[in-house]
Amino acid sequence: MDAAALRHEMPPDVEGLPGLLDQLEAFSEAAGLSPGAAQRLSIVAEELAANVAMHGTGASRLLVEARREGDSVHLLIEDDGPAFDPLSAAAPDLDAGVEDREVGGLGVHFVRRMTREAAYERRGKVNRLTALLDAG
Amino acid sequence: MQIAEHREGATTIAALEGRLDTATAPATEEKLLSLLDGGGLVADMSEVRYVSSAGLRVLLKAAKQARVKGVSFSVCGLQPAVREVFEISGFDKIIPMHATRAEAVAGT
Repeated sequence: MDAAALRHEMPPDVEGLPGLLDQLEAFSEAAGLSPGAAQRLSIVAEELAANVAMHGTGASRLLVEARREGDSVHLLIEDDGPAFDPLSAAAPDLDAGVEDREVGGLGVHFVRRMTREAAYERRGKVNRLTALLDAG
Repeated sequence: MQIAEHREGATTIAALEGRLDTATAPATEEKLLSLLDGGGLVADMSEVRYVSSAGLRVLLKAAKQARVKGVSFSVCGLQPAVREVFEISGFDKIIPMHATRAEAVAGT
């Protein structure tokens, strides 16, 4: 098996997220990602997986794949729930003060800011979210 | 997530260790909110290697509750990767951050 690749299939529930993060940390170490890149990969994957776990009613499986190619990390999140594009969420108001600040939309904000590219595609009965991140 | 409590004068220090993520957020939130009943609180994050948006939500709730109660709430000792998460989310502007526990206690 390629040490710099991860394929992790899990039921789409919140209880599965710590196991996913353990797998991502092990992958990041094996793939030689910088601490910052490892953090960004874990956050992007957790936000997207948590999105499916908490809102993807009807999904029965969740697949997370990551692989390093040179200075890039390719991430794929796939689920069989109803069609939903997580990238369509509104951006949060980053200038609001502590009283007004809401955290809604922060997850997708991280996905946008921490990836070079991210794209959603509905393929057959599957949601496919692909993202490209820096390895350094 | 492990949380150790220390007392520095009138301020409580909550030393967090582990990941502050979707899975650990509920218990961490409960603990921090109960500690705020005792007055000012500093969350020492030096042993926290990971914070997701669920973790930020916990810190925001603590900051809001502190505001309501009229007590201080700050964080200290952020690892560089965690600090980046604060900056990208704009949380560095709404939650006071200090380099060390001593500076956090002095600033409260």
